[in-house]
Amino acid sequence: MSADPLIRVENVSFSYNAEGGNPIHALNNVTLQIQKGEYLVIVGHNGSGKSTLAKHLNALLTPTAGDVWVNGWNTKDKDHTLDVRKTVGMVFQIPDNQIVATIVEEDVAFGPENLGVPREILEQRVTDALAIVGLEDCRKRAPHMLSAGQKQRVAIAGIIAMEPACIVLDESTAFLDPVGRDGVLQAVRKLHQKGTTVVAITHFMHEAVEGERVAVMDHGQIVMQGTPREVFSHVAELQELQLDVPQVTALSNAMHRRLPDFPWDLITVDEVVSTVQRLDRRGSAPRWP
Amino acid sequence: MAVENGAPIIKVNNLHHNYLRGTPLEVVALKGVDMEIFPGEAVGIIGRAGAGKSTVVQHFNGLIRPREPGKVIVDGLDLSDPTVNIKELRQRVGLVFQYPEDQLFERLLGDDIAFGPRKMGVPFAELRPRVQWAMEMVGLDFETFKDRYTFSLSGGEKRKAAIAGVLALKPKVLILDESTSGVDPRSRKDLLGRIRCLHEEHGMTVIFVSPNMEDMAGLVNKIFVMADGRTVMSGSTREIFAQREQLLEYGLGVPQVTEVMHELKARGYSANLSVLSVEEAEAELWKILSS
Repeated sequence: MSADPLIRVENVSFSYNAEGGNPIHALNNVTLQIQKGEYLVIVGHNGSGKSTLAKHLNALLTPTAGDVWVNGWNTKDKDHTLDVRKTVGMVFQIPDNQIVATIVEEDVAFGPENLGVPREILEQRVTDALAIVGLEDCRKRAPHMLSAGQKQRVAIAGIIAMEPACIVLDESTAFLDPVGRDGVLQAVRKLHQKGTTVVAITHFMHEAVEGERVAVMDHGQIVMQGTPREVFSHVAELQELQLDVPQVTALSNAMHRRLPDFPWDLITVDEVVSTVQRLDRRGSAPRWP
Repeated sequence: MAVENGAPIIKVNNLHHNYLRGTPLEVVALKGVDMEIFPGEAVGIIGRAGAGKSTVVQHFNGLIRPREPGKVIVDGLDLSDPTVNIKELRQRVGLVFQYPEDQLFERLLGDDIAFGPRKMGVPFAELRPRVQWAMEMVGLDFETFKDRYTFSLSGGEKRKAAIAGVLALKPKVLILDESTSGVDPRSRKDLLGRIRCLHEEHGMTVIFVSPNMEDMAGLVNKIFVMADGRTVMSGSTREIFAQREQLLEYGLGVPQVTEVMHELKARGYSANLSVLSVEEAEAELWKILSS
């Protein structure tokens, strides 16, 4: 990895005062580096601090202690807030809160237009962004007449059209149907292949499989980090955190207990099926008592 | 109309609906939906975004009225009849939306949950036990939570509170329109367990809309598949998920473990396609590998 990460989160803590109560420590000394072009997935429960961390990545929040550096700019430096936000685009949990226009194409154009993108380029950007999220046909529709999943994709297109170096998706697939979700994941994959840095926040563990690196958060800290396979192999710890383990991983774990040759850390359907084939082909002689 | 024993509690016949009818922005949402849901069933409705799932369920408590020639009969009430008692209907059919926590508005949680039954004219003396029952059904301890400020609750707690507000009406039918989406896995699993209990132990008819096929498989006995404004498949959960190819055509999937069985079958194994849970899949794989 290059020595020059796009985002550096250094010993960041964030606290706020709850209504009449004690301060709440949403982040507790978090350190994290996000490399250019990386696909990082952050998983954890509500209240684990993952959304709070996400909001630090484009200066919506600034640390109570510690620093966040985006492309060399400290997010606390107000002179560079716009630069930071141009670099890191954010898609929120609820698309309705992010949609501003009454026509889909106008909504998608809103961001880049305000960044001063000239009209000729703007058209193309909107077209490309809608193509990536698969909403070309909805270009002239009204966002509030779309389904929740379609609206979420409009919101994503609005960010894509600004062409940020990094896109942060804060549980943006929570409401999509399987194909809609695949559509968004494909779009994100496409963006990632084009070199965009992706930070996806989700509670869906099967989406974590998409990433190159997974960070698990709990109580404002990163408690586990690694490739999806490394992280999923900690089934017991994940279950203790009451996070979902993909069904196939749970299945491979259960099979491993019955049959030690069956790997315990499979993460895709295809791996499970291939394993069954491999183990089944080991000759026709009786294999087990 | 008296409801006979064994008659459907909800019957939908040839239902059509257009949004913004008569304007240039008209969108056809429903093009012919038929459904029969029987008392005590737990039924799932699946379909891609825009298939019309929410539009259908919003007919069930009269938020949208059926248009000729479509018919919706709910618990004996013909909803095309303009004189039908909507208040009565909404007491019998509780609808929980996506992001129901947005519906909380009272300062104190107990008041919020009591709002519905109070408006329905439930006598004051009965309110407290009702609210208590509803809160306990969703796993919010009455004494701990009744005087909490609604804005101070966590996302999962707000979600439960909103569902309790609907349950406090003691509906016969509970509709959850993606109401388990967007909360973390811990709260989601907890909620699913409580919904299952309402269905299994309290005989409540449950209509469940969710994009999560694994959750669907764990909760409902019957599934309606919607595509492009129509009901295109219906059957038991096992029957539906055994037809992967067709579901894929409609842009839907099957639970991951069912997918494993379908893949095994495609590679020549005599795999049981009606597998719905990890435990069942484990038993099947074991059967294949130990035979």
